[in-house]
Formats: sequence, structure tokens, C-alpha cells
Amino acid sequence: MQDSLSIPSRTEIIAQHRQSGKQVAAILPYHSPRPVFTCFDILPVEVWGPPRVDSSHGSAHLQPYICSLVRNALSFLLTGGLDEADFIIAPHGCDSLQGLGSILMDLIPSHQKVLPFYIPRGDQENAADFLAAEIQSLYDSIKDITGQTPDLETILKSIAQHQDADQLIAQLHKSRQNIPLTQLEFYRLLRSREYLPPSAFSELAEKALALDTNKSRNKGIPILLSGIVPEPMAVLEGLSQLGALVVADDLACCGRRIYPPITHDNVFMAMAKSILSAPPDSTRGSSVEARTQHLLDLTKTSGAMGVIFLEIKFCEPELFYLPIQRQALKKAGIPSLVLEVEINDSFTHQLRTRIEAFLEMIA
Amino acid sequence: MSFVNRIRFYRQVWIIGRAGLRWQRWRAQTYAKSAVHRQSQYLAPPLDITPKTKELIARHYLEGRWANLARKVAWVTSGAPVEMLKALDFYVLYPENHGALCGTARAVVDISSEAESAGYSRDICSYARTDIGTMLSGKTPVGRLPRPDLLLACTNICQTVLFWYRILAHHFQVPLVIIDTPFVYSKAERHTIGYVEKQLEDAIPILEKIAGKSLSLKRLKKVMEMSKKATQLWAEVIGKATHQPSPISVFDQFIHMAPIVEMRGDPFTIDFYATMLDEVDRRIANGIGAVLDEKKRLLWDNLPVWPKLRSLAEKLGEHGLALVASTYTSAWGDLGPLMNPDKPLESTALTYLHPILNQGTGHKLETMTHMIEKFHLDGAILHSDRSCKPYSIGQMDQKERLIRTYGIPALLLEADHDDPRSFSDEHVSHQLNAFIEMLED
Repeated sequence: MQDSLSIPSRTEIIAQHRQSGKQVAAILPYHSPRPVFTCFDILPVEVWGPPRVDSSHGSAHLQPYICSLVRNALSFLLTGGLDEADFIIAPHGCDSLQGLGSILMDLIPSHQKVLPFYIPRGDQENAADFLAAEIQSLYDSIKDITGQTPDLETILKSIAQHQDADQLIAQLHKSRQNIPLTQLEFYRLLRSREYLPPSAFSELAEKALALDTNKSRNKGIPILLSGIVPEPMAVLEGLSQLGALVVADDLACCGRRIYPPITHDNVFMAMAKSILSAPPDSTRGSSVEARTQHLLDLTKTSGAMGVIFLEIKFCEPELFYLPIQRQALKKAGIPSLVLEVEINDSFTHQLRTRIEAFLEMIA
Repeated sequence: MSFVNRIRFYRQVWIIGRAGLRWQRWRAQTYAKSAVHRQSQYLAPPLDITPKTKELIARHYLEGRWANLARKVAWVTSGAPVEMLKALDFYVLYPENHGALCGTARAVVDISSEAESAGYSRDICSYARTDIGTMLSGKTPVGRLPRPDLLLACTNICQTVLFWYRILAHHFQVPLVIIDTPFVYSKAERHTIGYVEKQLEDAIPILEKIAGKSLSLKRLKKVMEMSKKATQLWAEVIGKATHQPSPISVFDQFIHMAPIVEMRGDPFTIDFYATMLDEVDRRIANGIGAVLDEKKRLLWDNLPVWPKLRSLAEKLGEHGLALVASTYTSAWGDLGPLMNPDKPLESTALTYLHPILNQGTGHKLETMTHMIEKFHLDGAILHSDRSCKPYSIGQMDQKERLIRTYGIPALLLEADHDDPRSFSDEHVSHQLNAFIEMLED
């Protein structure tokens, strides 16, 4: 990666934050009101797995049909990976994440306070009201625990910082083909939003957007990547080696979290509406039509010639939509490929062969 | 719905169909009395009410078969606030129950293969796969399912139903009403109850538009009263299992729970459970146990293994093991106390926020421990149901707690509620043998 864009690791950022006497919140997938934490000077660090942990610790508590993202998160917690965190935030993303939040609260004691958080499903008319109340409830819980009461100005500043970061995320997605970074570097940059303070991320994103676009070597067979998380990340390198270029994504950790800036008199409502205005998402129970149309639109605007669904095994929210999405893509002349992976997997020869065959077909 | 269609519906269902079903019941009742050869060595004969249960279920599906001629049809989830639909005279179909019926009829593999061929993964819930398979192929052991005019999914049992009903809505192109019930980790907050209540309010005009009539508050209250009464009777019936020997087993409960799930709010459901209660009382008076030689009493956690009900009952009965309490069947009994016909929307919101599946793993553990005391249990079988993640997650720790804190043997039985391909007879037999040895020690 270019020197000007050296991205600090999660460990470094957490250590820096802790050294200054501040608190850290470990946040499980998928959506959360990040400004709430920042306004308390708490660093929100998202936990998407992580990959490459000894999952046997989680397996002592979870059945084999629970996905590797949830299993790894529990394993990571049990092996001390979240020891630096003061809070664990458990947003309700799916049945398995709901279960993880619940067993952390009831059955597997951890030294951190576990705070659940419900994201409404199904485009209800009063969803924003409910979500705003949920966010306020989360805010009140943190206020009670920390004894701090951030004033309105602090909250607004925090929202503004995150909105800047979110807008830069949107710009990065839009300009991805002109940014002279490899696909792996680009996704590392995008995913640094999961743990960097918003201002630090914005600084980094602006640098990336200012890089010399003439140096961009991003060429290849244009594809769209869909799924929850681009793990194993080696897939991105593999795609480059095989001549594919990810021109757009519909990933739960990336493209489905392009939150638009919302202004509202009520700060909690502003955060709620922003989350609910993100692109359609299985974990929020969006309609099949909305998700399918979003995919078709993405392929059209990005020029993607094919779609790769990189799915985590046992991920029910994703699995339900696949047949109809693939059918619609086929009808639109866009071939698709489904790859089922565990997040601890390496980029196996089998994956490589399947992607190679797919690219040969669409090229 | 023309006059001619109504006449056809009346003829097929009320005249020909019902007469035929009554005849079948009469034959079954008569035959049962002389069917000594079919009786188990270890289990009491089926309850006398069994032919009536079969008649009710058959009648329900018979009516469904012709329902599009005369009534509006709603497909709903098992935890849906069905009272509003009943008050608007919808014919209500429960795809989950249909899935269970396919399971007992050993039709799941054939039907769900239709969904699998269309791209639906075997890793999704087997009820959903079966239902989608029926949707795509029309295959069903009940002849024909009516086309829905409305879909109503309540997320209080799982998130799976949300995705599943999205697929149904896409296929049938009919309105989908979602009642989103936030998971109750510890306590339902005021804003959560308000959120659900408002959704119920918002749903009413949609339901009314499809039904072509206004919701009468008086009628809604009446339906709620009947629902409440039926759930109370159901709770009483299953509560009788505290007697030793237990007059009914959990297997009996699985068989006779269909009316409380899919016919609550109907007057005949009250009569049905009142009759069942009488019969269970008679069994108690005569000292008849569901397991002839009851030696140990067990808890069942999670959904049944529908395709294996009989073999599991026999296997356990052979060793004098009576399954007498279940977190699953009791869930419908738990609804009653929260229902308040005088506060229809608020109490509906509260009721349907609190099924066991919408509450935390700690609450389920508490429920189990309460049952251990109430039903004098000696052990627990926790069905680790591959198809039901929300019910199954937490069981490994719950099992450990039951063993450590209560000192009772507990078994995690690996299976699936509907798909026999996820059930290994040999493996389950080994698991059960080891568990039985433990209990007998």
C-alpha cells in the first residue's frame, strides 16, 4: 500500500484510545448508531467475526449450524479478544446474532456490560419513531453507566463527524475505479471505517480520493460482489489475480451501509432515519423487490458483467433472497455465482477454480 | 365471490365434506375400540378424542381447499395476532402447521426438493422449504392449499418468517403485513409495546380493505374472549401432566395442539379442549398413564421431530420414560393471561411480544427450571433443531446449567423438526441409549 495511505490496525487504534483513558465499545454487526458512542468519547469498534480465530471456543456453546461470523465473535470474546472493550453492543441483526446477544446477557458472563439494540424490520410506518426511541434508550444506558451527559452540541458534532465519514464512504464507492489502490487495499480502507474514529477515517479517505487517478491500474472483468462480509479477504487478491475487478458491492459491511446524511430537530431521529435510509438489506428484512432492483441498478451503473454472491454458510437472511435475485439477474443477462464460505477459510483452490470458470464464462 | 361460488363452497365443505369427515370419525372411533392389535406395549391407547382432532384438522384443510370460492384467505405465522383476522372472517392458513402435517405424512423430502431444485438452500428452515416447495409445485398431502389474499408475518417466533413471507409475497403478489415484535432480552420497554400496538392499528385498514368489511370491536372482543378461553383450557390440559402417572404425554400434546395453534378464536376449539380436559381427568381418576409403566419423567425443549413422533414415543415408552412437559406446547398456554379483551390492541401487543421464542435464553432456562419443579422431572431432552436457530441457540449452556445446578441428566438431541434427512436413526438411538443408562443409574 502507498505510504501516504498507511492504515493503522485495530489493535493500534484501540491501544491509542485506551492510553488516553477513554473507553471502547465492541459492536457486533450490522447497523448501529455510531455517533452515540463517539459523543461519549467511546471508540466504536465493530467485530465482524473476526476471521482466523480458534473457533473451537465458540463451538463449546453454539451448535454446528450457527454461522462462523457468530461463532468467531464468541470465540474471540472467550479468548480475550474483546478484553479491551468496556461495552459489548449487540444490535439485532438476525436470529443467530439475537441468540449471541442473549446468551452473552444471560448464560455466558463477560466482564463487559452487554447492551442489546433492536433494528426494526419491514418498513413499518413507525419504524423511525421506534428506532429513535431505541437509540435514545441506548444513549440513556450509556449515560447511566458512564455518569456523563454529553450536551446537544457534542451530540451534533459527533453526528456531523460521522456524516462526513459516511459521505466520504459514498464517494469512495463511486470513485473506486479511479483510485490507484489494489482491491485488497481499497477494501481495507473501506473497512477501516469499522474501527477508526470518524475524523481519522475522513482524513484517510480524503487522501485516497486525492491520489493521482492516472496511476490507477484498476482494469479487469467488472464484477459486483454481494454478501455479508468480504472474508476471506484473500478472495479480493484472488479476484485481482484472476483478472476480475470489483466495480460495486452489495456487502452488508460495506455497500449496504452507505448512510445518507439526515437533518432533523431530534438528534436520535436523525440517526434513526439515516440508518433506515441505507440501501436495501437482508438483515433489515427489505423486500425481495427492493433488494433485487438495487442489485440490478448497481450492475447497470457500475457496468458489472457478473455478480458473485460470497455467502457465509448458514446465513439464512441471505439464503432466502438468492434464488429470486439470481433469476432476475439472469433475466437481465447478468450471470451470477454463489460461493459459500466460512470466514476462517483460506482462498482455497476450489474457490479459485470456480471463480476462474465463472470469469471465463462472462469475459 | 359470486353466489354460485358460495353455493359450491357450502356444498363441498358443509354438506359433502363435513358429512364424510363425521363418517370417518365415527369409523375411527368404532375401529379404535376393537383395534387391540395396533396398540403399543408401552403406551396407553390414543386419547378417545384423537379422531375428533383428526376431523378438525381435516375439516380445516377441507375448508381451505375450497376457501377461495367463498372467503378471503390469510396465510399467517404461528405466533400471529390472528384474532383480528378471525374477527374479519378470514379463512386463516398456517404454513408452519402445513409443514408439520407434511412432516407427519412423510412428505417433506419430496416437497422441499421442489424448493431446493429452485435454488433454496437446505440450510434454511425445513418448514419454509416445504412451504415454498408447495407454493412452487402445488404438492401437498391435503389436496390443495388456497391462494392467499393476504399474508401476515409476525416476527415473534423468528426472523426466518420475515424472509419466508417476503418470498411468498413476491410469488403471490399479495399484500404482506409485517408485525415486527422486537426481541425481549429482559423486559419489553414502553416504546416497544407502543411500536407493536401502532403496527396493529396500522394493519387494521389494510385488513379491512381486503376483507371488504369493517372490523367490529364487539366481534374482536368476542374472538379474543374465545382465544383466551381456549388457551386457558389448553394450559389446564397440559397442566394435568403434573399428576403421576401423567395422563398425557408431550407426544399427545404435539398431536392435539393443532386446534390451539390454528383454530384459536373459534368456538368449537373451546368445546374441543373442554372435552379433552374431561377425558384427561377421567384418565387421572382411573390411574391411567400415557406411558403404561411410568418410571421417569422428562422435559422436552424445542419443536417436535414431526416425522419421528411415533418411534421416539415408543423408544422412550419402552424404558418407562414419560415426556410430560414441554417448553414448546406450553407456549400457547402462556398467551392466555396476557390477553385482555377490554384492551384489545394494547393487550394483543403485549401478548404477542411475549411468546417464549421472543424472550431471552435466560427466560427459557427459568421456564425449564420451573417445569422441573412443577412436573417433578427427572431429566430433560433438548432437541437441537437444525431448522430453528432461535429456539436452539443457548441450549448447550442451558443443558450444562440443568446438569450442574439441578443435578438432572440432560441430553442434546440433534435433529430437525421436519426434514428426516437431518435425523440419523442410529445416531439418535445411540444418544438415547446413553441417556437412558444415565437416567437408570
